[in-house]
This record gives sequence, C-alpha cells and structure tokens, in this order.
Amino acid sequence: MRRHLWICLLVIPFLSNGQTVLDSKLNGSEKGQRLALVLDSIQSNSPFSIYYLNDWLNGIEVNKSYAGLSLKQLLDDQFNGTELSYVLMYDEVLVLIRDPSFAKKKEEEIKVAQSLGIKIDQVILGEPVLGNASNENVTITGTVMDWVSGDLLPFATIQVNDSLRVISSDNQGRFQVELPKGNYLLKTKFVDYEDKLIDLLAYADGDILIEVEKEAKELEEVVVEADREQEISRAKIGKTVLTVKEMKYAPSFLGEVDLVRQVQNLPGVTTVGEAATGFNVRGGSVDQNLILYDGLPVFNSSHVFGLLTSFNPDAVENVTFYKGGVPAQFGGRVSSVLDIEAKEGDFEEWSGKAGIGMITSNVSVNGPIQKGKTSIAASVRSTYSNWLARSVRTDYADLRQSNVFFYDATAKITHKIDEDNKLTFTGYSSHDAFKLVGDTTYRWNTNLAAFNYDKQFDKTFGAKFTAGITNYDYNVEDENVRTAAKLKYRLTASVLSATFFKELEEHKIDFGAQFNYYNFQPGRLEPTSDVSNAAVFDLDKQNSLELALFFDDSYEVSDRLTLNAGLRIPFFMSIGEAEVFLYDDNDFKQITGITDTLSFGAFEPVKSYLGLEPRFSLNYKLSETSSLKMGYNRIFQYLHLVTNTTAVTPIDIWQPSGYYFEPQRADQVSAGFFTNSLDNKVGLSVEGFYKHIDNLVDFKDGAQLTLNTHIETELLQGTGRAYGAEVSLMKNTGGLTGRINYTYSRTFRTIGIPGDRNASINNGFEYPANFDQPHVLNVNWKLELTKRHFFTGTFTYQSGRPVTIPLSLFNFDNNFVAFFSERNQFRIPDYHRLDLGLVIEGSHNKRKWAKGTWIISIYNAYSRQNPYTVFFGTSDLGIPEPFQLSIIGTILPSVSYNLNF
Amino acid sequence: MRRKLSYRLFFLALILGVAGCVEPIEFDVPEPREQIIIQGNITDQPGPYIVTIDEGLAVRPDTVANTPVPGAQVRLYDDQGNIEDFEEIVPGTYATRGAIQGEIGRSYHIKVTLKDGRTYESTPDPLKPGGEIKSLSWEYEQGTAVEDFGEIPDDVFGVYIDSEAGDDPENFVRWRMTGTFRIETRPELYIVVRPYWDRPLMLPRPCSGHRTAPHPSGSGTILVQVEPCVCCECWVDLYENFPRVTDDRLVAGGEFRNVRVGEVNINNVNFYDKFMVKVEQMSLSRVAYDFFRLMRIQRESASNIFQPPSAELVGNVVSTNPEDRVIGLFYSSSIDTEVKFIEREEIPYLLTPTTQVPESCLLHYRNSTTEKPPEWQ
Repeated sequence: MRRHLWICLLVIPFLSNGQTVLDSKLNGSEKGQRLALVLDSIQSNSPFSIYYLNDWLNGIEVNKSYAGLSLKQLLDDQFNGTELSYVLMYDEVLVLIRDPSFAKKKEEEIKVAQSLGIKIDQVILGEPVLGNASNENVTITGTVMDWVSGDLLPFATIQVNDSLRVISSDNQGRFQVELPKGNYLLKTKFVDYEDKLIDLLAYADGDILIEVEKEAKELEEVVVEADREQEISRAKIGKTVLTVKEMKYAPSFLGEVDLVRQVQNLPGVTTVGEAATGFNVRGGSVDQNLILYDGLPVFNSSHVFGLLTSFNPDAVENVTFYKGGVPAQFGGRVSSVLDIEAKEGDFEEWSGKAGIGMITSNVSVNGPIQKGKTSIAASVRSTYSNWLARSVRTDYADLRQSNVFFYDATAKITHKIDEDNKLTFTGYSSHDAFKLVGDTTYRWNTNLAAFNYDKQFDKTFGAKFTAGITNYDYNVEDENVRTAAKLKYRLTASVLSATFFKELEEHKIDFGAQFNYYNFQPGRLEPTSDVSNAAVFDLDKQNSLELALFFDDSYEVSDRLTLNAGLRIPFFMSIGEAEVFLYDDNDFKQITGITDTLSFGAFEPVKSYLGLEPRFSLNYKLSETSSLKMGYNRIFQYLHLVTNTTAVTPIDIWQPSGYYFEPQRADQVSAGFFTNSLDNKVGLSVEGFYKHIDNLVDFKDGAQLTLNTHIETELLQGTGRAYGAEVSLMKNTGGLTGRINYTYSRTFRTIGIPGDRNASINNGFEYPANFDQPHVLNVNWKLELTKRHFFTGTFTYQSGRPVTIPLSLFNFDNNFVAFFSERNQFRIPDYHRLDLGLVIEGSHNKRKWAKGTWIISIYNAYSRQNPYTVFFGTSDLGIPEPFQLSIIGTILPSVSYNLNF
Repeated sequence: MRRKLSYRLFFLALILGVAGCVEPIEFDVPEPREQIIIQGNITDQPGPYIVTIDEGLAVRPDTVANTPVPGAQVRLYDDQGNIEDFEEIVPGTYATRGAIQGEIGRSYHIKVTLKDGRTYESTPDPLKPGGEIKSLSWEYEQGTAVEDFGEIPDDVFGVYIDSEAGDDPENFVRWRMTGTFRIETRPELYIVVRPYWDRPLMLPRPCSGHRTAPHPSGSGTILVQVEPCVCCECWVDLYENFPRVTDDRLVAGGEFRNVRVGEVNINNVNFYDKFMVKVEQMSLSRVAYDFFRLMRIQRESASNIFQPPSAELVGNVVSTNPEDRVIGLFYSSSIDTEVKFIEREEIPYLLTPTTQVPESCLLHYRNSTTEKPPEWQ
C-alpha cells in the first residue's frame, strides 16, 4: 500500500559550499551507540534533516569516538566498504542512500553538468519512511514547459538515471512514470532547448514541473537525432525524428543545408541522383511519400528539379519521418510520411537570422506580436543562380541568356487564447521559374494556407483541428509567335481534419477523421497570340474526395512491452462531372478501340473505393538497453504521379484513382533489433522489411502523357515487391560522433499480362524498378577539433541503378534507330562520393548581439564522376553513342556564412 | 529567335556549367542478334516501290553501313488478289516493276522469304487519303551556336506548311522534308602531304578528269585535264533527324496551319547557290503512325538526360517463327508533294564565299549524287 506522508515541491538552486549538516561537530558520546540514534540526536538538536530508512542502519554501531570531528568523517568511516552512502541535498538536508555506485556516478554527473553549464533543479517528493524498509513504487507525473513562455513542450525526452530508462512527454507536454522510491537524476532534452537535470528525491507520488530554457539563438540545422534515445525506448519501428539543431555541421551541396538530403542519408532511403526530386523509401516510388507541412500535403518539394528542397531549414521546427509502422492518423501514400512542423515565433523577444550561400540567401525573423500571447515566425529564401548560371563558362550559349529563379517563403502566426487553447495560421509559398533564351518559360508553384487549433479539454484529453487548402500548379509558356501557347496544370486539395488525444492509464489513444477534396485541372492549352497555330484544348476537370476515420492506441502493457494498434478506414470517390470512354478490350485499351462513352453529371459518383488499413507495431524491451520491434501496416494510395522519366520532374502530372485506375495498396511488415551500450555511447540497430504493393501505375513504352484525353491507354497497373535489411551503427558521444548506415534491399515490378507485349511491360515478366539499388552505405561523422571548430564528413556508396540500353541499331528511313533491351536489364556504374566540411563557429558568448558562423564544404572531395544517367548523343554519322552524365563531376567547394542576431 | 535546346537539356547545361561532365560509357552487351530489319512502302504515286532487308548493327560509333540481306524473295499483295514480285536491284534492295500501283482505299502487304528459309509477312496496311499541302513557306530565324572559340551565327530558315488533312476521320499524317543543295568541289587539287618533302604530292582524283604531267620547263608538275570531271558537281540530300508526325488532336477544323516541318541551316555550303525544299505529306495507318511516333520519341529522348525508357518499335512485320526477331514496317501512303527553292538572295546578309574543297564531292559529302534531281531547275 502506498503511504502518502506529504507531498511537496521544492525547487532550490544547487549549492555546493557553506556550512552544512555534514560539518556538524561530534563530542565523543556517540561511541558505542547505534548510528541511527546518533543521527536522530543530531537531527533533533539542529535545524538539519537527515533522511534514511531504519533497516539500512540496523546493526551499525559507532565503534570509536569522533570527538571534535565532523559527521562527514564519521559517515565516511562507517560507510566505507558498504553499500551505503549519502547525498547532501541542500546544506541542511542529508539523505542516506543504499547505492554507492549511483551516488558516485551521480556526483560525477552533476560535476560534468555543472562544468557544461547545465541547469540543475532539486525536487523532493515526500520524505523517507522512518522504520521498515520499503520497496514500494511511486508515481511521478510531470509537465515539461518553456521557462519563459510557459508553452508546454510535447515529445521532450526525459532520461531517468542516465540510460536506464527514457520516457517522453506526450503531445501535451505531460509525462508519467512509475519508479521505486529513491533518488533519481532526470535528464530532460528538447529540441532547441538547453538540457535540464532534475535531482529528484522521490518518496511519494507527486507532480513535478520541468522548466527548460531555450538555447541561445544560434545557427540551426537539420540533424538526424533519431535513434539516440528514442529507438531504444519508446520509438515506434520505422520512425525517425529529424531535429533542427544548433549547428549546421554536415557538409553540404554548395553550402545549402537540405532537409530532404538528411532524409536520404537514412537507412532504407535512396535517390536516383543529385538532381532528382524527392526520395525513394524501401522500394517505393517518389509519389508514395506523403509530405505534410503543418498538416497539409505538399505535392512538390523541390527547387530546380530537385537540386534543392523547397523547405527552408530555418523555418522548420521539427520533422518526423515514418518509413514503416505508420500510425493510423497518416494515410494516402503507401511508402512513407515526412511530417514537417513549421517553426513558431518566440513569444518574448525578437530575433533574426540571415544567411548568404552560393545559390541562395535567406532572412528569417521571429518574435512576439503581443508579448506572451501572439507570435510570428517568417522567413524568405531566394536565389541568385541567374548570376551563377550566367557567369559560368558553358558550351551552351542559350544558358548565358537564360533565367533561373526560385523563392520560398513561410510565415506562421501563433496565438495563445489561454493555457488550453492555441490557434496557429501557417502560410507557405514556393515558386520556381526558368526561361530558356527565346521562347519557353516554365513555372511551378506551391501555395498553402493552414489553420490549426489545439484544444486541451483536460489533463488527459486534447484535440487538434486542421483546416486548410494546398495548391500545386505549373505552366509552360511557349512564346514563339507561330506556336505561342500556354499549358496549364493545377491541383488543389482542401483539407479538414480533427484528431483527438486521450490518455487512459497505460493507453494513449489517438482518433479522428480527415476529409480531403481534390480538384484537378489536368491540362489546358490556350493560344497566346493571334497567329498561333495552337487551338484551345481543355482536358476535363477531375474531382474526387477522400474521407478517412482512424483510431490508434498505444498501450503500455508492461514496463517491457508497448503495443501500438490502429485502424484507418479510407473512403475515396471520384465524382463528376466526367466522361469515361469504354473500350472493346479492357486489357489493351487503345483509342481505336473505344466503343462507348459514359457521362456523369456534377458530383455524381463515378467510382468509389472503401478500404481497411490495419496498423500494428510493438516494442519489446529485452533489457534496459535493447529492444525488439515489429510493425505491420497496410496503406491505400489514391493519387498517382504519372511520369515517364527516371527522375520525377515538376511538370509531371498527378492522376487520381477513378474508373480505370484502382488505388495502390501496400502491405509492409518490418522487424528490428535495437541496442545500445549502457552509457549510450554506442548504438546498433538492425531492421528488415518486406513490402508488397498492388496496382502500381507504370507507363507503356513511348507513352504520351501530356494533354492526353485517353490517358488510360498509356498506363498499366501491376504489382511490386521490395525487401531489405538495414543496419545502423551509431556513436553518440565524445569528440567523434557519427553513424554508419548500410542497407541491402531489392525492389521489383511486374506489370501487365504475361506474354502480351501490348498490355504489359517487359512482356509481363518481373523487372527491377528504376531505383533498385541493392547496396547503399552512408557514413557520416562529426569531429570536435575545438569547442568552436568541427570537422564533418559524409561518405555515400550506392549500387548503380538499372537502365534500359540499346542492344543493336538499324537504319530506318535514313535515321539510325535503336533496338532496346528489356526494361531495366543493365546497370550504370556504382555511385560513391565523399563530402567534407569545416564549421567555424563564432563566439559562444551569449551577450554578443550577433553571432556568425562559417561553413566550408567540399562536395565530392575526390572528384568522382558518378553517372547520373545514360543518354545517347549522335555521332557525325548519325550513330547513337551512349554517354554517361555526371551531374556533379568534379570537386565542388563552397563557403557560406550565417549570422544570428 | 528560336529555341535550340529542350528545357531538359537546358538543365543539363546548367549543371554541366557548374560541375557536370559527360563521358562516353560502355556496356557489356552481346553482339547484335540475328535480327532482321525490313522496311518499305507503297504510295499512290507511280512506282517502283522499294523494300530493303538488313541485319541489325552493333551500337558502336564506327558502325557506318547497313549489312544488307541479299537473295530474298519479296512479294507484294493487294486486297484484290493481285500479286507482284520484287526484283533485287542491289544487294538487299528490292524494287517492283510497275505491275501494281497504289490506290487509295486498297490495302497492301508483303511476304518475304530469305535464302535460309526464314519467312516474314506484314499485316495489310490501308492506303488512306492524305490531304493536300496548301502552301509551303519559310522564315528567316536568327540563332547562335557556341564553338570552342566563341559564339558563331547559327541562323536557319524555318520551313512551314499550311495543309488540309485528309477525309479520313483519323488524320494520321507524316511530313517528310528533304533538302537538296548543289555543290562544286575541286578533286583535281587533291594532295598528299609528305613529311620529309618540302612540297606536297599532287594526286588529282581520277574522277576529276585531270592528270599530272611534267612542267614544260622541266621543273615541277602541272595538271592536265584529259577528260570531263565526273565528281566536281554534286547534289546533296539532307534528311530530317526524326520523322514528323501529327494527328489532328491539337489542330482544329481538319486544317494544319503553320506547321513547322523542318529547318534549313544557313551557311555557304547549303547555299552554294540555292536550296531545294521538298515536303511530302503522307497519310498513314495507325500502325505506321505509331511506328513513326515512337521513332520520333526515341530520337528525341535519346538526348534527354532524364532518360525516359525508350520505346521499342513495333511495326507490322511478323515472323512465322516466333523465335526470329524482326523489326519491320511495310506501309501504304498517299502522298502530296510540294517543292520550292530558297534562293541565296533571300538571306538578309552576304555569305562568305564557299571554301574550295580539294576532294571528290561524292566522297566529301554524304548522301550526294552527281545525278541532277528531276525537280532541280
């Protein structure tokens, strides 16, 4: 039975000097007495308190006189060689404890923390029971809060006694932990905040408040922090948290720190090349990644065809990435989720940052609109690559007169209505344009507006409501007078969602509903000059809606076992107005085979699909430092990116499921083993997965995808499978930190009817996907040279990806034409690259008004000419000659400077 | 101004400009298979109609010539039961002798039997009405190209047509533009440089009709014309880089307006005097249209760095033995032809005089002939 003697909450600064209970002088009368009586006597005759359990001291007598000596000397003598020790909590409180190794460790830890300037609070809950020993547990509840703004901090990690146990606060900043009575050090970590130590004496249930302070405003960078605490303890399988951390350490491409490149370094994630938009996760295609920005989907995440990500890292608070065990609240893309949360403004003071790189410059500011109530964070990043492009010596005259331009901007306004209600507005805009000398301009845009409302009904029940609209469009403008025309494409998604969070004892339950309404303008061509020979051509708009209900329960079955089980029920409907062509042969649809046309009126259902998506994951702790995890998820995907190129380009089109295109369905199982050393210095994870995808969309050879009224005649659906093993080795502490990731994986597709060349790819036989790269190795490290100088590096190795090449030639009508191999039967040479970086931080003095940091990067340090793709030039005789193109074929140094103010 | 690069090539250029590079690459591929290539067509114009049979070639820069398949029996059929045998006029090239002339509304196919007994057959291809070219025009367009030493003018005449599509509800049309120019060379001036001699050796090409003879003074050599030169004047054909096809999807009212069918580079070779533009508007069946469309996509996408997997061409010729690999197309077309000359004077500036080439024009210029084309005036 638990006895609640008293509960108090004391937070007193730690003091290490001065007159203390240990200095109490003895007079010699203690000789021959029981130690318990001696201590009792000191306690009753002084203002000091001494806590201990009686049975610890049973049988201990003071065997000599300590006249004139201090209590410290007595205790040191008596406890020498025993399990007992003591801790001085304040000058006047002495606590006897029974684990001397912990006491010593704690003492060392506190010393280290003090030397690093980490703040330490002391908290006492209850008091030791005098009398019988007790191994009872106490329940500690607590809240992690921003010391200045009072914001509750979700998902902060709290480490109990070094690496023995790690818990994290929930999405409301609350946490609960059950511990045997005793003394603990709680180490609290939260992104962008300084670490905090709580020296906790827990003898009764109680509630503690952990107040943490923001770090000094220094440069920030996306750093993969994932597995360090999380993998071992509570993290779900396949989940990684990327955090925006204090410094931009990693070497970067032309000095541009890039969020997606950090994702690409994770095990199980690959990319087809430097200039490829997006990333491939565990054998999935690029469109199978759900990218959310403050809860709204983003359909294009790249500038300049993937050379840069369109999210400014300075505007990002944190990023969560799921590649397996995806929780039920996410759906609609079968491979992964990249959940990006935009940065909130500071509620107390204004700060800013400006950066100059070789390609972009950026400015960001954040601060209070109304102190303590309303804040704003805004940032803008833009390019001057025109200058770069034009200053370059190139064989292409057109380039020197061409224009390249992009920007991205984001603003987030946060208003705290009261402690339990918070409203945020997020606006995001990204724009790309380039114009070739002469006559064609390409532009693509993403615009997004999101309202999020966080509501806390009570301590265990909260909710988040999201409403917003996200838009992706591109246009291609041909300015040649004779053919002048503009091609437009647009996709708009309107999103409404409600997610509720409920905590019930060992259960953490998320449930809610999401509603998306999609409107597609798949293509409209209109002439832009009177003499243009282009005619107006307008593909019918397409509309569809997606509704999903979801429920997810995280159940802590025991200290060792945590289960996550969820169910998502998505419903998708393609609605009119629409016309659907019927074909005489549904397996081999061709324009000449149209037999009839079905017409659907406005909002009339064309085709609907209902799915059931079970989600499951478990985490079983084999010991305090290792765990076994498993996950299974099924996900349906209703939007397909239709492309006929190896790399996705911004002017590819999204095609919704409908009459002919069934939704993709992926089933994935994964299992992993995670362990780290006791002191958390070294960690190891091994994870395997198998994934099966139905109804993948692929294009027929030579498909014409733009402005095609019969796009179903150009596309085929089939199945895919992928499997692999991922190994990750981490070193987390010390002067040299880093990680080694190795992945072996394969990914294959089977499309169409076997033996039917017209209605299949590769004659219906299985072939490796474009991004099938069996071996992928990533090594990255950070070496602390001095407190302000860091040497960082990344090494990447990837197997060459598959290509389709010509096997023979023939001359037809005075043109050489190639006869190609079956799809993806050859491979380009392997890819490997070494990047190095030197970071020179400015002064660490927080009182300086501004701090600068130099980042010197060397990309592709040994000038490897990695083939990005193979294409065919034409010799003077008209013979196609295979060439490999290296996007970055040489060493590429860069310098960037960042200033915080 | 005109656009020279696709946007994807532009991107290539951007990256290359910064750091990229392009290197030849070699793949370990098997030798070209025993693959047979059969091509030919029949039109509504008087014959002879030609069919060629070749073997596949290795993908190597030094692949220069076709490998013809001689000794085959080729037979033409129409849907009325008429048959005509082709005659081998040069190895691997077979021609009709005029018994059958293509007619709109009829369908035609061929059967091929090789010496070793392999047989192939095309599916019947309908000869459709093809419409008519209404006008053929050109427009001067400025452009530049960059060589190692700097920018040079690279102007062209863009060639456009207006035309009517045919009466067929499916307007699958191909425009084939062929350019021809006349050129003169000086094969009698051909020389060989000898490293240890102070003067090169005069070695007039025999076709020049010139010979060397001792100089009357007894010192040196002179050229003497002993017969007419038969390789000093040539007509050179320039073919399009890829077939141009369209359907009437993007063009309203069954009329094609301002369709760019090709371009003529402006230089002092093409415009030695004048340049002949010949445009044929050819009707196609859907099978032939798809073949040329895929051929165009393949030719265009070859230089696309994003490398869309290229289409495998599927024609209408099949083998009786499924193991035999054959690519072939025998198609039927009605043809409307328009021929015009672009005069040198239409170039808005003076061209530099053409350098005299000391070589046989037949050897120096590919696709050249000394026979004056019938359309040349």
